[in-house]
Amino acid sequence: MAEKRKSMIKIKPKKYKVGDIVKVDFIVIHPMDTGMAKDKKTGKIIPAHYINDITFSFDGKPFTKMKIWESVSQNPYFSVNMKVTGKGKITVDYTDNLGEKNSKSKKVKPKKA
Amino acid sequence: MKKIVLTLALTGTFVLAGEQYSMSAADKKMYEEMLENNPADIFVSDGEEIFEEEFGGEESLAKFLDVSEKDLAKYIAGFPRYVKKMGNVVGLDQVLQAMEVEQGKKKDALDSEKIFNTSAYVKSLANDLPVSIDVKENKEIENSFALGKKLYNTRRGYRGLSCNSCHSLPGSVLRTQSLPSLGGANAGGTWPAYRMTLSKLVTLQERSRGCMKDAGQEPLPLGSKEMVALEVYITNLAKENKKVVTIPGLKR
Amino acid sequence: MERRNFIKNIMAVSAVAVTVPNSLLAEETEKAKVSKAPAVKGPNDMPLADAIKAITDGKEVKESDKIKLTVPEIAENGAVVPVKVEVESPMTEEDYVKSIHILNTKNSNSRCADIMLTPANGKAYFSTRVKLAETQEIVTIVELSDGTFMKAGKSIKVTIGGCG
Repeated sequence: MAEKRKSMIKIKPKKYKVGDIVKVDFIVIHPMDTGMAKDKKTGKIIPAHYINDITFSFDGKPFTKMKIWESVSQNPYFSVNMKVTGKGKITVDYTDNLGEKNSKSKKVKPKKA
Repeated sequence: MKKIVLTLALTGTFVLAGEQYSMSAADKKMYEEMLENNPADIFVSDGEEIFEEEFGGEESLAKFLDVSEKDLAKYIAGFPRYVKKMGNVVGLDQVLQAMEVEQGKKKDALDSEKIFNTSAYVKSLANDLPVSIDVKENKEIENSFALGKKLYNTRRGYRGLSCNSCHSLPGSVLRTQSLPSLGGANAGGTWPAYRMTLSKLVTLQERSRGCMKDAGQEPLPLGSKEMVALEVYITNLAKENKKVVTIPGLKR
Repeated sequence: MERRNFIKNIMAVSAVAVTVPNSLLAEETEKAKVSKAPAVKGPNDMPLADAIKAITDGKEVKESDKIKLTVPEIAENGAVVPVKVEVESPMTEEDYVKSIHILNTKNSNSRCADIMLTPANGKAYFSTRVKLAETQEIVTIVELSDGTFMKAGKSIKVTIGGCG
C-alpha cells in the first residue's frame, strides 16, 4: 500500500541474531490534533485528528496492538520489543480517527549465530 | 538609568547552575535518548530526496562550490563561508537558493520547509566532523565575524538585552528553562534542529528570530548580512569548544 | 565604573533569586491552569477514575515495584514528554504482560495509550511521548495474563518557560 504519511521503523541494535530481543521504534509525522486547540489565524477550533489504532505484525502475524489517544505528542514515537524468530518483515499498520489508513514495513535480517 | 533597572529586574529571575531547577542527570539521559528517535530524521530524509532529485545531489553541490566531491563533507563543516561566486558570506540555505536560481528554477524562501529540510540534509553530510569554520580565512569572513561579535554583545530592544545577557554563563536557567551557553551547547553544530514547541525542523537563524522576538527585539531578517554574521559568530563558538556536527538536533 | 557595579549586581541579585523560585513557580503554574482551562470539550474527555474503571472493570489494582516507570522530573516542554514503562515478566505463554495502559491525571482525557502485548514481544516494554497541559502525574496500569492488575505513578513538573 502506498504510504501517504511519512514514517520510519528502526530496529535496534542494527546487528542481531535469531533469539535476540530487539527494540522496534516507529516514528510517524502526524499532527495529533486534540480537537481543543484554536487555529491562531482563524480563531476556529482545529478538529481532532490523531492516530487511534496501531498494529505491529511480523510476517503477517500481529504481535502488538495499540489504542492511541489524542494526548500523545505530535509527530509521535512508539517503541516496543520483539523477539527475533527469523528472517522476515515487520509491518506497522495504523489508522487515524478520520479513517485514514497507512502502512510501513521493514525487513528483519538476522545475522548467522 | 531606567534601562538598567529593567534589566536587573529580569536578571533577578535568573538562577545559576546547580540550583533546584537545572536538569537532573536522569532527565538529561531521557532527553538524550529522545535524540535517537528524532522526528526530524524524517524531515532530513525528505531533504535528502529533494537534494538528490531537484538539486542534483552532491555532484551538483560540489560543482557549484568548486570543490571535489571527496572534500565536500569537510567543506560543508566549515559553513557559513564566503562563497566567491555569490560575492557574500552565506549559509548553506542561501547556497541552495542560489543553486535554484542558477538552474533557472523559482527561488524557494529561506524559511520554507523545503529549504529548512534540504539544508539540514546537506549539513548532515558533515556529521561527526568537527565544526571547522575559519573566521580568518579571508577578509570577508573576518568582517562578518567582527560584525557578528558586535551584534552578539549589543543590547537591543526595550528590555535592553544582548545575546550575551542570557547566553554567556553555562547552566543559566530562566524559570526552569535552560539558557544554554551557545558554544558549550554546540549551537553551531546542532542546528538545524527539531523544535519540540513547534513540532518542526528549523534552522539556527530561524530559531534566533524567535528568541529575538521573545527578548523584545526586532528580529533580523533571514539571510541578511547581520543574521549571517551572527551565525558566523555563534558557529565559531562551537568550533572554539571543539564541537562536532550532529544534525538534526532536538531542542525545546 | 557603572558597568562593573551592574555586573556585580547581577550576581548578587541572582544569589537572592535562589530563595524565590518556589513561589514564582507556583504562581506561574496557577496562571497556566487558569489560562489553559479548556473552553472546548475534547472528543474523548474522560476523568482518571472512569478510565481506570473501564480498564480494570473495578478489580483491585496494587502498586507494584515490578513496574519501572521512567518520566522526567521536569518536562523541558509540555508538548513532548517522554514516558517509558518496563515490567519484570518472563513473557511466556503461561505468564506475560497482557497490556500496559498509560494515563494522566489532569488532561481532560486521562487516557494516553493502551498497549496490548504478546509473548512475541520478548520483554514487557513500551515507550512514547505525550502532551501534558500542566504539572500532573503519569499513571500506568499493567494487566497480567492471569487477569491481575498492577499500577505505578510519577509526578512531572510542567511549567511555562522563561522565554520561547
